[in-house]
Amino acid sequence: MKIRTLRYFIKEGFVNSYRNKLMSLASVLIVVASLIVFGVFVLISLNAQHNIRIWKEQPQLQAFCYQELDDIQVRRVEEIIKADERVLSYEKVTREQALEKMRERLGKDAAILDGYGADIFPVSFIIRLKDVSYSGEVVKDLEKVTGIEKVTYSQDTVELITRMSQWFSLGCSVMIVIFLVASVFIIANTIKLTVFARRKEISIMKYIGATDWFIRWPFVVEGVIISITGAILAFIISACGYKAVVDKFSQDAFFAQTSLLSMLSIESIWSKLAVYYAAIAVVVGAAGSFVSMRRYLKV
Amino acid sequence: MVELRNVSKTYPNGTVALRDINLKLDKGEFVFLVGPSGSGKSTLVKLLLKEEEATEGEVYVNGYDVTSMTRQEIPYLRRSLGVVFQDFRLLPNKTVYENVAFAMIITEALPKEIRRQVPMALALVGLSRKANMYPHQLSGGEQQRVALARALVNNPALLIADEPTGNLDPETSWEIMKLLSEINHRGTTVIVATHEKSIVDAMKKRVVAINKGVIVRDQEKGLYRDEDKNTPVFY
Repeated sequence: MKIRTLRYFIKEGFVNSYRNKLMSLASVLIVVASLIVFGVFVLISLNAQHNIRIWKEQPQLQAFCYQELDDIQVRRVEEIIKADERVLSYEKVTREQALEKMRERLGKDAAILDGYGADIFPVSFIIRLKDVSYSGEVVKDLEKVTGIEKVTYSQDTVELITRMSQWFSLGCSVMIVIFLVASVFIIANTIKLTVFARRKEISIMKYIGATDWFIRWPFVVEGVIISITGAILAFIISACGYKAVVDKFSQDAFFAQTSLLSMLSIESIWSKLAVYYAAIAVVVGAAGSFVSMRRYLKV
Repeated sequence: MVELRNVSKTYPNGTVALRDINLKLDKGEFVFLVGPSGSGKSTLVKLLLKEEEATEGEVYVNGYDVTSMTRQEIPYLRRSLGVVFQDFRLLPNKTVYENVAFAMIITEALPKEIRRQVPMALALVGLSRKANMYPHQLSGGEQQRVALARALVNNPALLIADEPTGNLDPETSWEIMKLLSEINHRGTTVIVATHEKSIVDAMKKRVVAINKGVIVRDQEKGLYRDEDKNTPVFY
Protein backbone atom coordinates (compact mmCIF):
# COMPACT_ATOMS: atom_id res chain seq x y z
CA MET A 1 0.00 0.00 0.00
CA LYS A 2 1.28 3.43 -0.89
CA ILE A 3 1.65 6.24 1.63
CA ARG A 4 -0.76 8.55 -0.19
CA THR A 5 -3.35 5.78 -0.34
CA LEU A 6 -2.89 5.21 3.38
CA ARG A 7 -3.36 8.92 3.95
CA TYR A 8 -6.55 8.77 1.89
CA PHE A 9 -7.88 5.85 3.99
CA ILE A 10 -7.15 7.63 7.25
CA LYS A 11 -8.78 10.84 6.05
CA GLU A 12 -11.86 8.96 4.87
CA GLY A 13 -12.02 7.11 8.19
CA PHE A 14 -12.13 10.42 10.06
CA VAL A 15 -14.73 11.82 7.66
CA ASN A 16 -16.86 8.69 8.19
CA SER A 17 -16.76 8.85 11.95
CA TYR A 18 -17.47 12.58 11.94
CA ARG A 19 -20.49 12.23 9.66
CA ASN A 20 -21.85 9.66 12.03
CA LYS A 21 -21.21 11.70 15.18
CA LEU A 22 -23.92 10.35 17.45
CA MET A 23 -23.33 6.68 16.79
CA SER A 24 -19.58 7.19 16.96
CA LEU A 25 -20.01 8.81 20.36
CA ALA A 26 -22.18 5.92 21.59
CA SER A 27 -19.58 3.43 20.42
CA VAL A 28 -16.77 5.40 22.04
CA LEU A 29 -18.68 5.35 25.34
CA ILE A 30 -19.23 1.60 25.29
CA VAL A 31 -15.54 1.11 24.56
CA VAL A 32 -14.72 3.40 27.50
CA ALA A 33 -17.04 1.43 29.78
CA SER A 34 -15.59 -1.95 28.85
CA LEU A 35 -12.02 -0.73 29.06
CA ILE A 36 -12.61 0.77 32.50
CA VAL A 37 -13.97 -2.56 33.76
CA PHE A 38 -10.91 -4.17 32.25
CA GLY A 39 -8.69 -1.51 33.81
CA VAL A 40 -10.12 -2.04 37.29
CA PHE A 41 -9.46 -5.73 36.90
CA VAL A 42 -5.89 -5.18 35.74
CA LEU A 43 -5.14 -2.68 38.49
CA ILE A 44 -6.54 -4.87 41.25
CA SER A 45 -4.80 -8.00 40.05
CA LEU A 46 -1.49 -6.16 39.58
CA ASN A 47 -1.76 -4.95 43.15
CA ALA A 48 -2.75 -8.36 44.44
CA GLN A 49 0.26 -9.93 42.73
CA HIS A 50 2.46 -7.19 44.13
CA ASN A 51 1.26 -7.89 47.68
CA ILE A 52 1.50 -11.65 47.33
CA ARG A 53 5.07 -11.20 46.19
CA ILE A 54 5.89 -9.08 49.24
CA TRP A 55 4.34 -11.64 51.58
CA LYS A 56 6.18 -14.46 49.93
CA GLU A 57 9.50 -12.65 50.19
CA GLN A 58 9.05 -12.35 53.92
CA PRO A 59 8.52 -15.84 55.26
CA GLN A 60 7.43 -14.73 58.69
CA LEU A 61 5.83 -16.72 61.44
CA GLN A 62 4.62 -15.44 64.74
CA ALA A 63 4.58 -17.91 67.62
CA PHE A 64 2.37 -16.91 70.55
CA CYS A 65 3.07 -18.34 73.99
CA TYR A 66 0.30 -19.06 76.46
CA GLN A 67 -0.60 -15.84 78.22
CA GLU A 68 -0.02 -17.32 81.70
CA LEU A 69 3.59 -18.46 81.00
CA ASP A 70 6.21 -17.10 83.39
CA ASP A 71 9.63 -15.76 82.35
CA ILE A 72 11.44 -19.07 82.87
CA GLN A 73 8.99 -20.97 80.72
CA VAL A 74 9.23 -18.24 78.07
CA ARG A 75 13.01 -18.55 78.12
CA ARG A 76 12.68 -22.29 77.56
CA VAL A 77 10.56 -21.66 74.47
CA GLU A 78 13.08 -19.08 73.28
CA GLU A 79 15.90 -21.62 73.62
CA ILE A 80 14.05 -24.08 71.41
CA ILE A 81 13.50 -21.45 68.71
CA LYS A 82 17.12 -20.32 68.96
CA ALA A 83 18.34 -23.87 68.51
CA ASP A 84 16.33 -24.50 65.39
CA GLU A 85 18.63 -24.47 62.37
CA ARG A 86 15.91 -23.45 59.96
CA VAL A 87 15.42 -20.14 61.76
CA LEU A 88 17.27 -17.21 60.28
CA SER A 89 16.48 -14.77 63.05
CA TYR A 90 13.84 -14.14 65.64
CA GLU A 91 12.57 -11.27 67.65
CA LYS A 92 10.97 -11.41 71.03
CA VAL A 93 7.80 -9.35 71.46
CA THR A 94 7.36 -8.68 75.16
CA ARG A 95 4.00 -8.15 76.85
CA GLU A 96 4.76 -4.39 77.05
CA GLN A 97 5.60 -4.20 73.32
CA ALA A 98 2.40 -6.05 72.50
CA LEU A 99 0.39 -3.58 74.56
CA GLU A 100 2.14 -0.67 72.86
CA LYS A 101 1.44 -2.13 69.40
CA MET A 102 -2.19 -2.54 70.25
CA ARG A 103 -2.38 1.03 71.46
CA GLU A 104 -0.88 2.20 68.17
CA ARG A 105 -3.25 0.11 66.15
CA LEU A 106 -6.29 1.40 68.02
CA GLY A 107 -5.11 5.02 67.73
CA LYS A 108 -7.83 7.28 69.10
CA ASP A 109 -9.63 4.36 70.69
CA ALA A 110 -6.59 3.34 72.74
CA ALA A 111 -8.38 4.57 75.85
CA ILE A 112 -10.28 1.29 76.13
CA LEU A 113 -7.00 -0.31 77.14
CA ASP A 114 -6.67 2.02 80.12
CA GLY A 115 -6.90 0.11 83.32
CA TYR A 116 -5.45 -3.04 81.81
CA GLY A 117 -1.88 -4.04 82.39
CA ALA A 118 0.53 -5.54 79.89
CA ASP A 119 -0.10 -8.95 81.48
CA ILE A 120 -3.24 -9.52 79.43
CA PHE A 121 -1.01 -9.99 76.37
CA PRO A 122 1.06 -13.07 75.71
CA VAL A 123 4.73 -13.02 74.82
CA SER A 124 5.33 -13.85 71.18
CA PHE A 125 8.24 -14.46 68.83
CA ILE A 126 8.44 -13.13 65.28
CA ILE A 127 10.47 -15.72 63.40
CA ARG A 128 12.13 -15.30 60.01
CA LEU A 129 12.99 -18.51 58.25
CA LYS A 130 16.00 -19.20 56.07
CA ASP A 131 13.73 -20.40 53.33
CA VAL A 132 10.01 -20.09 52.72
CA SER A 133 9.74 -23.80 51.93
CA TYR A 134 10.47 -24.69 55.58
CA SER A 135 7.44 -22.83 56.85
CA GLY A 136 5.07 -25.80 56.77
CA GLU A 137 7.25 -28.13 58.89
CA VAL A 138 8.47 -25.39 61.21
CA VAL A 139 4.87 -24.45 62.04
CA LYS A 140 4.08 -28.09 62.76
CA ASP A 141 7.14 -28.51 65.01
CA LEU A 142 6.57 -25.26 66.92
CA GLU A 143 2.92 -26.10 67.59
CA LYS A 144 4.15 -29.26 69.45
CA VAL A 145 6.42 -27.20 71.75
CA THR A 146 4.93 -26.90 75.24
CA GLY A 147 4.16 -23.32 76.04
CA ILE A 148 3.33 -22.27 72.49
CA GLU A 149 -0.39 -21.70 72.06
CA LYS A 150 -0.53 -21.00 68.33
CA VAL A 151 1.60 -20.11 65.36
CA THR A 152 0.24 -17.67 62.81
CA TYR A 153 1.35 -18.42 59.44
CA SER A 154 1.65 -15.82 56.76
CA GLN A 155 1.19 -18.57 54.17
CA ASP A 156 -2.51 -18.60 55.10
CA THR A 157 -2.81 -15.04 54.01
CA VAL A 158 -0.91 -15.71 50.82
CA GLU A 159 -3.26 -18.56 50.01
CA LEU A 160 -6.28 -16.49 50.86
CA ILE A 161 -5.16 -13.65 48.65
CA THR A 162 -4.30 -16.07 45.87
CA ARG A 163 -7.67 -17.77 46.08
CA MET A 164 -9.52 -14.49 46.27
CA SER A 165 -7.70 -13.07 43.31
CA GLN A 166 -8.46 -16.20 41.30
CA TRP A 167 -12.19 -15.82 41.90
CA PHE A 168 -11.93 -12.15 41.25
CA SER A 169 -10.11 -12.77 37.96
CA LEU A 170 -12.74 -15.25 36.84
CA GLY A 171 -15.58 -12.85 37.58
CA CYS A 172 -13.83 -9.99 35.85
CA SER A 173 -12.90 -12.09 32.83
CA VAL A 174 -16.54 -12.98 32.26
CA MET A 175 -17.55 -9.33 32.50
CA ILE A 176 -14.73 -8.23 30.24
CA VAL A 177 -15.63 -10.78 27.58
CA ILE A 178 -19.26 -9.64 27.63
CA PHE A 179 -18.29 -6.00 27.42
CA LEU A 180 -15.75 -6.52 24.66
CA VAL A 181 -18.16 -8.56 22.55
CA ALA A 182 -20.76 -5.82 23.06
CA SER A 183 -18.18 -3.24 21.97
CA VAL A 184 -17.35 -5.19 18.84
CA PHE A 185 -21.00 -5.38 17.83
CA ILE A 186 -21.78 -1.78 18.63
CA ILE A 187 -18.80 -0.65 16.57
CA ALA A 188 -19.93 -2.99 13.80
CA ASN A 189 -23.38 -1.43 13.94
CA THR A 190 -21.97 2.09 13.77
CA ILE A 191 -19.99 1.13 10.72
CA LYS A 192 -23.08 -0.48 9.22
CA LEU A 193 -24.76 2.92 9.35
CA THR A 194 -21.80 4.51 7.59
CA VAL A 195 -21.85 1.78 4.97
CA PHE A 196 -25.56 2.39 4.51
CA ALA A 197 -25.09 6.14 4.23
CA ARG A 198 -22.36 5.63 1.66
CA ARG A 199 -23.82 2.73 -0.30
CA LYS A 200 -24.28 4.87 -3.40
CA GLU A 201 -20.68 5.98 -3.16
CA ILE A 202 -19.55 2.40 -2.68
CA SER A 203 -21.42 1.23 -5.79
CA ILE A 204 -19.87 4.06 -7.82
CA MET A 205 -16.44 3.10 -6.53
CA LYS A 206 -17.04 -0.44 -7.68
CA TYR A 207 -18.06 0.72 -11.14
CA ILE A 208 -14.95 2.75 -11.64
CA GLY A 209 -12.75 -0.15 -10.60
CA ALA A 210 -11.95 0.22 -6.89
CA THR A 211 -10.72 -3.01 -5.36
CA ASP A 212 -12.62 -4.52 -2.42
CA TRP A 213 -9.88 -3.58 0.01
CA PHE A 214 -9.70 -0.04 -1.27
CA ILE A 215 -13.38 0.26 -0.34
CA ARG A 216 -12.98 -1.53 2.98
CA TRP A 217 -9.95 0.18 4.51
CA PRO A 218 -11.64 3.50 5.39
CA PHE A 219 -14.22 1.52 7.38
CA VAL A 220 -11.51 -0.37 9.24
CA VAL A 221 -9.89 2.97 10.03
CA GLU A 222 -13.24 4.28 11.30
CA GLY A 223 -13.52 1.34 13.70
CA VAL A 224 -9.99 1.85 14.95
CA ILE A 225 -10.56 5.60 15.42
CA ILE A 226 -13.61 4.88 17.57
CA SER A 227 -11.83 2.34 19.72
CA ILE A 228 -8.61 4.35 20.11
CA THR A 229 -10.62 7.40 21.19
CA GLY A 230 -12.40 5.18 23.70
CA ALA A 231 -9.08 3.80 24.91
CA ILE A 232 -7.58 7.25 25.44
CA LEU A 233 -10.61 8.40 27.44
CA ALA A 234 -10.67 5.18 29.46
CA PHE A 235 -6.98 5.53 30.18
CA ILE A 236 -7.33 9.10 31.45
CA ILE A 237 -10.32 8.20 33.62
CA SER A 238 -8.80 5.07 35.12
CA ALA A 239 -5.36 6.63 35.68
CA CYS A 240 -6.88 9.62 37.50
CA GLY A 241 -9.21 7.36 39.45
CA TYR A 242 -6.38 5.07 40.49
CA LYS A 243 -4.21 7.97 41.57
CA ALA A 244 -7.04 9.26 43.75
CA VAL A 245 -7.42 5.81 45.36
CA VAL A 246 -3.66 5.52 45.99
CA ASP A 247 -3.57 8.99 47.59
CA LYS A 248 -6.53 8.16 49.80
CA PHE A 249 -4.93 4.84 50.71
CA SER A 250 -1.59 6.34 51.71
CA GLN A 251 -3.36 8.87 53.94
CA ASP A 252 -5.34 6.18 55.69
CA ALA A 253 -3.82 5.73 59.17
CA PHE A 254 -4.59 2.04 59.54
CA PHE A 255 -2.95 0.88 56.31
CA ALA A 256 -0.11 3.36 56.60
CA GLN A 257 0.93 2.09 60.03
CA THR A 258 0.34 -1.58 59.72
CA SER A 259 1.81 -1.82 56.24
CA LEU A 260 -0.48 -4.78 55.85
CA LEU A 261 -1.07 -3.95 52.21
CA SER A 262 0.81 -1.73 49.87
CA MET A 263 -0.33 -0.25 46.57
CA LEU A 264 1.68 0.22 43.45
CA SER A 265 2.21 3.83 42.45
CA ILE A 266 0.56 5.07 39.29
CA GLU A 267 4.00 5.95 37.89
CA SER A 268 5.05 2.33 38.03
CA ILE A 269 2.06 0.92 36.15
CA TRP A 270 0.70 3.55 33.78
CA SER A 271 2.78 2.35 30.85
CA LYS A 272 1.60 -1.23 31.30
CA LEU A 273 -2.01 -0.05 31.43
CA ALA A 274 -1.53 2.11 28.32
CA VAL A 275 -0.10 -0.81 26.35
CA TYR A 276 -3.00 -3.08 27.35
CA TYR A 277 -5.56 -0.45 26.43
CA ALA A 278 -3.97 0.32 23.09
CA ALA A 279 -3.72 -3.36 22.16
CA ILE A 280 -7.32 -4.09 23.10
CA ALA A 281 -8.55 -0.96 21.34
CA VAL A 282 -6.89 -1.88 18.05
CA VAL A 283 -8.15 -5.46 18.20
CA VAL A 284 -11.70 -4.47 19.15
CA GLY A 285 -11.86 -1.71 16.55
CA ALA A 286 -10.54 -3.87 13.75
CA ALA A 287 -12.79 -6.77 14.81
CA GLY A 288 -15.80 -4.45 14.76
CA SER A 289 -14.94 -3.29 11.26
CA PHE A 290 -14.49 -6.83 10.00
CA VAL A 291 -17.76 -8.03 11.51
CA SER A 292 -19.57 -5.14 9.85
CA MET A 293 -17.91 -5.82 6.55
CA ARG A 294 -18.66 -9.50 6.56
CA ARG A 295 -22.28 -8.68 7.25
CA TYR A 296 -22.98 -5.42 5.50
CA LEU A 297 -20.28 -4.73 2.94
CA LYS A 298 -20.46 -7.61 0.55
CA VAL A 299 -18.76 -5.69 -2.21
CA MET B 1 -11.60 -5.43 -28.51
CA VAL B 2 -14.96 -6.86 -27.52
CA GLU B 3 -16.21 -10.28 -28.48
CA LEU B 4 -19.22 -12.30 -27.41
CA ARG B 5 -19.41 -15.93 -28.48
CA ASN B 6 -22.69 -17.84 -28.21
CA VAL B 7 -23.64 -15.85 -25.13
CA SER B 8 -26.91 -16.55 -23.36
CA LYS B 9 -28.18 -15.08 -20.14
CA THR B 10 -31.06 -16.44 -18.12
CA TYR B 11 -31.84 -14.72 -14.83
CA PRO B 12 -32.52 -16.88 -11.78
CA ASN B 13 -36.24 -16.08 -12.03
CA GLY B 14 -36.31 -17.74 -15.47
CA THR B 15 -36.34 -14.60 -17.61
CA VAL B 16 -34.28 -15.17 -20.74
CA ALA B 17 -32.50 -11.85 -21.33
CA LEU B 18 -30.06 -12.85 -24.09
CA ARG B 19 -30.13 -15.82 -26.45
CA ASP B 20 -27.07 -17.04 -28.31
CA ILE B 21 -25.48 -13.64 -28.94
CA ASN B 22 -22.46 -13.39 -31.25
CA LEU B 23 -20.91 -9.96 -31.55
CA LYS B 24 -17.49 -8.64 -32.43
CA LEU B 25 -16.23 -5.08 -32.12
CA ASP B 26 -12.92 -3.94 -33.51
CA LYS B 27 -10.62 -1.34 -32.07
CA GLY B 28 -11.72 2.20 -32.87
CA GLU B 29 -15.31 1.35 -33.72
CA PHE B 30 -18.37 3.35 -32.73
CA VAL B 31 -21.39 1.11 -32.18
CA PHE B 32 -24.97 1.90 -31.26
CA LEU B 33 -26.77 -0.79 -29.34
CA VAL B 34 -30.46 -0.19 -29.93
CA GLY B 35 -33.68 -1.87 -28.93
CA PRO B 36 -36.81 -1.29 -26.88
CA SER B 37 -36.80 -1.48 -23.09
CA GLY B 38 -36.42 -5.03 -21.91
CA SER B 39 -34.79 -6.10 -25.16
CA GLY B 40 -31.62 -7.16 -23.38
CA LYS B 41 -29.26 -4.31 -24.17
CA SER B 42 -28.76 -3.39 -20.51
CA THR B 43 -28.00 -7.03 -19.75
CA LEU B 44 -25.42 -7.01 -22.51
CA VAL B 45 -23.74 -3.95 -20.99
CA LYS B 46 -23.79 -5.64 -17.57
CA LEU B 47 -22.07 -8.70 -19.01
CA LEU B 48 -19.28 -6.51 -20.38
CA LEU B 49 -18.73 -5.02 -16.91
CA LYS B 50 -19.12 -8.42 -15.26
CA GLU B 51 -21.94 -7.07 -13.17
CA GLU B 52 -23.81 -10.14 -14.37
CA GLU B 53 -22.44 -13.52 -15.39
CA ALA B 54 -23.25 -15.08 -18.72
CA THR B 55 -25.15 -18.35 -18.30
CA GLU B 56 -23.53 -19.71 -21.44
CA GLY B 57 -20.86 -18.62 -23.90
CA GLU B 58 -17.74 -16.53 -23.65
CA VAL B 59 -17.18 -12.80 -23.23
CA TYR B 60 -13.89 -11.05 -24.03
CA VAL B 61 -13.30 -7.37 -23.26
CA ASN B 62 -10.05 -5.47 -23.70
CA GLY B 63 -8.09 -8.69 -23.76
CA TYR B 64 -9.72 -9.94 -20.54
CA ASP B 65 -11.49 -13.28 -20.56
CA VAL B 66 -14.48 -11.96 -18.64
CA THR B 67 -16.21 -15.33 -18.31
CA SER B 68 -13.46 -17.05 -16.38
CA MET B 69 -12.39 -13.98 -14.42
CA THR B 70 -12.23 -14.19 -10.61
CA ARG B 71 -13.87 -11.62 -8.34
CA GLN B 72 -10.50 -10.12 -7.46
CA GLU B 73 -9.77 -9.35 -11.11
CA ILE B 74 -13.01 -7.46 -11.79
CA PRO B 75 -11.70 -4.05 -10.60
CA TYR B 76 -8.85 -4.26 -13.11
CA LEU B 77 -11.26 -5.05 -15.95
CA ARG B 78 -13.36 -2.02 -14.98
CA ARG B 79 -10.32 0.25 -14.81
CA SER B 80 -9.47 -0.68 -18.37
CA LEU B 81 -12.75 0.75 -19.61
CA GLY B 82 -14.74 3.91 -19.02
CA VAL B 83 -18.44 3.71 -18.20
CA VAL B 84 -21.13 6.37 -18.36
CA PHE B 85 -24.65 5.86 -17.04
CA GLN B 86 -28.03 7.47 -17.56
CA ASP B 87 -28.08 8.77 -13.96
CA PHE B 88 -24.48 10.17 -14.10
CA ARG B 89 -23.47 8.56 -10.78
CA LEU B 90 -21.32 11.39 -9.49
CA LEU B 91 -20.30 11.72 -5.85
CA PRO B 92 -22.49 14.56 -4.52
CA ASN B 93 -20.09 15.76 -1.81
CA LYS B 94 -17.09 16.01 -4.08
CA THR B 95 -16.34 18.80 -6.55
CA VAL B 96 -16.14 18.27 -10.30
CA TYR B 97 -12.36 18.10 -10.06
CA GLU B 98 -12.46 15.65 -7.14
CA ASN B 99 -15.00 13.44 -8.90
CA VAL B 100 -12.72 13.08 -11.89
CA ALA B 101 -9.57 12.74 -9.78
CA PHE B 102 -11.25 10.03 -7.74
CA ALA B 103 -11.13 7.61 -10.67
CA MET B 104 -7.35 8.05 -10.61
CA ILE B 105 -6.98 7.93 -6.82
CA ILE B 106 -8.48 4.45 -6.71
CA THR B 107 -5.88 3.25 -9.20
CA GLU B 108 -3.21 4.67 -6.86
CA ALA B 109 -1.96 6.97 -9.60
CA LEU B 110 0.85 9.42 -8.87
CA PRO B 111 -0.35 12.85 -7.64
CA LYS B 112 1.72 14.43 -10.42
CA GLU B 113 -0.15 12.37 -12.96
CA ILE B 114 -3.51 13.24 -11.40
CA ARG B 115 -2.68 16.95 -11.60
CA ARG B 116 -1.85 16.55 -15.27
CA GLN B 117 -4.63 14.22 -16.40
CA VAL B 118 -7.67 15.70 -14.63
CA PRO B 119 -7.44 19.19 -16.20
CA MET B 120 -6.93 17.55 -19.58
CA ALA B 121 -10.07 15.44 -19.19
CA LEU B 122 -12.06 18.46 -17.99
CA ALA B 123 -10.80 20.51 -20.93
CA LEU B 124 -11.87 17.76 -23.32
CA VAL B 125 -15.47 17.93 -22.07
CA GLY B 126 -15.36 21.75 -21.82
CA LEU B 127 -15.73 22.05 -18.05
CA SER B 128 -12.39 23.54 -17.03
CA ARG B 129 -14.09 26.62 -15.60
CA LYS B 130 -16.44 24.61 -13.39
CA ALA B 131 -13.80 22.40 -11.78
CA ASN B 132 -14.56 23.64 -8.26
CA MET B 133 -18.35 23.36 -8.46
CA TYR B 134 -20.40 20.59 -6.93
CA PRO B 135 -22.61 18.30 -9.04
CA HIS B 136 -25.85 19.86 -7.75
CA GLN B 137 -24.71 23.25 -9.10
CA LEU B 138 -24.51 21.86 -12.63
CA SER B 139 -27.10 21.16 -15.30
CA GLY B 140 -27.83 17.57 -16.35
CA GLY B 141 -25.74 17.92 -19.49
CA GLU B 142 -22.81 19.27 -17.51
CA GLN B 143 -23.09 16.46 -14.97
CA GLN B 144 -22.99 13.92 -17.76
CA ARG B 145 -19.90 15.63 -19.14
CA VAL B 146 -18.25 15.31 -15.72
CA ALA B 147 -19.10 11.59 -15.81
CA LEU B 148 -17.53 11.42 -19.27
CA ALA B 149 -14.39 13.16 -18.03
CA ARG B 150 -14.20 10.66 -15.19
CA ALA B 151 -14.65 7.76 -17.60
CA LEU B 152 -11.87 9.08 -19.83
CA VAL B 153 -9.33 10.26 -17.29
CA ASN B 154 -7.55 6.92 -17.11
CA ASN B 155 -7.31 6.79 -20.91
CA PRO B 156 -9.42 3.66 -21.40
CA ALA B 157 -9.36 1.88 -24.74
CA LEU B 158 -13.09 1.26 -24.52
CA LEU B 159 -15.92 3.56 -23.47
CA ILE B 160 -19.32 2.10 -22.64
CA ALA B 161 -22.28 4.48 -22.39
CA ASP B 162 -25.55 3.04 -21.10
CA GLU B 163 -28.40 5.37 -22.12
CA PRO B 164 -26.12 8.40 -21.66
CA THR B 165 -28.78 10.83 -22.86
CA GLY B 166 -31.79 9.24 -21.17
CA ASN B 167 -32.17 12.09 -18.67
CA LEU B 168 -31.25 14.96 -21.01
CA ASP B 169 -33.17 17.24 -23.34
CA PRO B 170 -32.63 16.76 -27.10
CA GLU B 171 -30.21 19.62 -27.54
CA THR B 172 -27.98 18.54 -24.66
CA SER B 173 -28.22 14.97 -25.89
CA TRP B 174 -26.71 16.09 -29.15
CA GLU B 175 -23.81 17.75 -27.39
CA ILE B 176 -23.06 14.56 -25.49
CA MET B 177 -23.26 12.47 -28.65
CA LYS B 178 -20.92 14.83 -30.48
CA LEU B 179 -18.52 14.53 -27.58
CA LEU B 180 -18.72 10.73 -27.76
CA SER B 181 -18.07 10.89 -31.47
CA GLU B 182 -15.07 13.13 -30.90
CA ILE B 183 -13.71 10.75 -28.29
CA ASN B 184 -14.11 7.96 -30.83
CA HIS B 185 -12.14 9.97 -33.40
CA ARG B 186 -9.29 10.13 -30.91
CA GLY B 187 -9.08 6.36 -31.08
CA THR B 188 -11.30 5.13 -28.25
CA THR B 189 -13.73 2.33 -29.05
CA VAL B 190 -17.24 3.49 -28.06
CA ILE B 191 -20.38 1.47 -27.35
CA VAL B 192 -23.58 3.44 -26.83
CA ALA B 193 -26.75 1.72 -25.70
CA THR B 194 -29.66 4.01 -26.52
CA HIS B 195 -33.15 4.36 -27.87
CA GLU B 196 -32.72 7.89 -29.18
CA LYS B 197 -33.96 7.21 -32.67
CA SER B 198 -33.16 10.60 -34.18
CA ILE B 199 -29.58 10.58 -32.98
CA VAL B 200 -28.88 7.04 -34.16
CA ASP B 201 -30.35 7.81 -37.53
CA ALA B 202 -28.38 11.01 -37.93
CA MET B 203 -24.98 9.74 -36.82
CA LYS B 204 -24.79 6.92 -39.39
CA LYS B 205 -22.68 4.59 -37.32
CA ARG B 206 -22.71 0.84 -36.92
CA VAL B 207 -26.04 -0.19 -35.37
CA VAL B 208 -26.65 -3.44 -33.52
CA ALA B 209 -30.35 -3.93 -32.87
CA ILE B 210 -31.49 -6.27 -30.15
CA ASN B 211 -35.01 -7.49 -29.61
CA LYS B 212 -36.23 -10.09 -27.16
CA GLY B 213 -32.67 -11.11 -26.38
CA VAL B 214 -31.63 -11.75 -29.96
CA ILE B 215 -29.53 -9.61 -32.34
CA VAL B 216 -31.99 -8.84 -35.10
CA ARG B 217 -29.74 -6.62 -37.16
CA ASP B 218 -26.09 -5.58 -37.34
CA GLN B 219 -25.52 -2.89 -39.91
CA GLU B 220 -22.74 -0.49 -40.85
CA LYS B 221 -23.97 3.11 -41.10
CA GLY B 222 -27.33 1.87 -39.92
CA LEU B 223 -30.55 3.46 -38.83
CA TYR B 224 -32.60 2.88 -35.72
CA ARG B 225 -35.19 0.90 -37.66
CA ASP B 226 -34.92 -0.95 -40.95
CA GLU B 227 -38.20 0.42 -42.32
CA ASP B 228 -36.98 3.97 -41.71
CA LYS B 229 -34.47 3.54 -44.51
CA ASN B 230 -36.52 5.50 -46.96
CA THR B 231 -37.73 8.28 -44.74
CA PRO B 232 -35.69 11.46 -45.02
CA VAL B 233 -33.12 12.06 -42.31
CA PHE B 234 -32.49 15.62 -41.28
CA TYR B 235 -29.09 16.64 -40.05
